[in-house]
Amino acid sequence: MEPIIKVTGLKKSFKKKEAVKGLDFEVQEGEIFGFLGPNGAGKSTTINMICTMLAPSEGSIIINGYDVSKQKDKVRESIGIIFQENTLDKKLTADENLKLHCRFYKVPKEKREQRIQEVLEIVDLVNERKQRVETFSGGMKRRLEIARGLLHYPRVLFLDEPTVGLDPQTRAHLWEYILRLKEKEGITMFLTTHYLDEAEISDRVAIMDEGRIIAIDSPKALKSELGGDIIELETENNVSASEEIRRRFPEAEVTLQDETMYVKVPDSDAFVATIIKELTAPVTRLNIRRPTLNDVFLAFTGRKIGEAEEQGKAGS
Amino acid sequence: MEGILAIWQRDLTKFFRDKARLFGSFTMPILFLLIFGGGMSGTMESMMSAGLGEEAGDFNYVEFVFPGIVAMTLLMTSVFSALSIIEDKDFGYMKEILVSPISRVSIAVGKMAGAATVATIQGVILFLLIPLLGLSYDFTALLQVIPFMFLFACALSGLGLLFASVIRSTQGFQMTVQILVMPMIFLSGALFPVNNMPAWMDVIVKVNPVTYGVDVMKKIMIDVDTLSPAVVEAMGLNITVFGRQVTILEEILFILGFAAVLVLLATISFRRANA
Ligand SMILES: Nc1ncnc2c1ncn2[C@@H]1O[C@H](COP(=O)(O)OP(=O)(O)OP(=O)(O)O)[C@@H](O)[C@H]1O
Ligand SMILES: [Mg+2]
Repeated sequence: MEPIIKVTGLKKSFKKKEAVKGLDFEVQEGEIFGFLGPNGAGKSTTINMICTMLAPSEGSIIINGYDVSKQKDKVRESIGIIFQENTLDKKLTADENLKLHCRFYKVPKEKREQRIQEVLEIVDLVNERKQRVETFSGGMKRRLEIARGLLHYPRVLFLDEPTVGLDPQTRAHLWEYILRLKEKEGITMFLTTHYLDEAEISDRVAIMDEGRIIAIDSPKALKSELGGDIIELETENNVSASEEIRRRFPEAEVTLQDETMYVKVPDSDAFVATIIKELTAPVTRLNIRRPTLNDVFLAFTGRKIGEAEEQGKAGS
Repeated sequence: MEGILAIWQRDLTKFFRDKARLFGSFTMPILFLLIFGGGMSGTMESMMSAGLGEEAGDFNYVEFVFPGIVAMTLLMTSVFSALSIIEDKDFGYMKEILVSPISRVSIAVGKMAGAATVATIQGVILFLLIPLLGLSYDFTALLQVIPFMFLFACALSGLGLLFASVIRSTQGFQMTVQILVMPMIFLSGALFPVNNMPAWMDVIVKVNPVTYGVDVMKKIMIDVDTLSPAVVEAMGLNITVFGRQVTILEEILFILGFAAVLVLLATISFRRANA
């Protein structure tokens, strides 16, 4: 099957900075595709290029069979996008915002009412329809934007950090809506996030760092590539303990982060039984868990996502 | 077409919803009418009709200045309405417009028509003051001038679009417009005739599009046929370019062309924009 999005050799340089340094990837129809990466990784820049909002410096993008640099109108008809920043007209009501969108996208007149009702139901805003957007909470605004993005039945829906700035409960709700939608409409979704748990709902994740994709696969495959479980370990002397572990378990991968040692072993049971009994430095804390995408990011970059962001902030 | 209408209607809705802006925009023309139409009209009249001798009685300054002040209102409102583009960029809505499949020329035309409609409505509301000022214009002349006011306002909104595409900040826009708008009014013949200007100033008067818009409005509204040639001359309504007197038709075509060029420029700027 032809991929719905095909990106080849995509690059973008701003005046001083090369924000995207050569991306090649494909997204299949009906898939949830996630971009995971710290602040400044180039996620928004990439999405904006795919959505015709930013001209690439190099490379090509085909979406729904149309070339983004030559058939902009066709591409624009095929997509919906929730930008990272709010793009509602706050002086207008929810209803007015939705109606304008229908007109921009030439939704047939007789279908508008039914579609507006339908998308408002998906995001639970039916009763707020006649209210001005300026009276909405952050979460309501985000839901309204998602509703608006769906009005013209796009083939691909882009969501650039749809849940940023929302409380955990609202975030969870929003993902429920999004998943409900994907089940109902079978829309291809392309989302970016720097929350690891959010990326896990994707069918495939591209991990992005400093303008490059460093890994791309299903969350499950990415995690199993790491092999085995992760053991978080704290001892009274981490340095000597880590050397001892390396000596006795040559197959284990040990990473020291602050007060904690992360040990990755194929067989966690045998490993734990041994170290509790035999490690010279007494164990003060121990936790076994399945690998998360955070571990994947750590394994590929040597940093945690949170740290990469702090470095980004300090650097800018 | 649907896209143009949508953009046009949105700007109109927002204009009528913003009561402060709606009423605030009338203060300037009313102030000018008070100063020029009331306080200073006697002085202006005797100055301008000085050479007319016995025909001086035919010269009514308020009748002369009223269309000029309506034109001034059109200019201010049209150009300032382009501020909505900068606001749309600031508040993000421009992205919603630009990422949609509306053609870029529709965006430009919609924005221009929105600003021009608002300006024309304001100009027409000023007509209500005509009886209060003791004036009487021919009713059909008033009806005839409205379509031209809209065309003129389109051209002026185009100017606003041009500024908005170059200037990114609200403050910068307001400053630039304020600096440019005043000379455009004073050097257009709106408030006083620009007959005997020094050569360099005369050049500015002749390249200033407001000059021709004001002239057309005055020629339609003031019953020039019944006035003697000397009075018409004193009112500065015989504009000559390169020694040739321009006709009202030429002036209208000029404004039309001016508006068309500006739509084109605005379209190009929307094509390039990525908000
Ligand atoms: N218009 C611009 N001009 C100059 N540099 C830019 C511009 N837009 C983005 N950048 C730079 O490009 C890099 C990538 O930015 P981008 O917004 O794509 O990151 P991101 O992955 O979306 O980050 P975040 O998670 O913070 O949204 C950053 O270093 C940023 O400073
Ligand atoms: Mg971003």
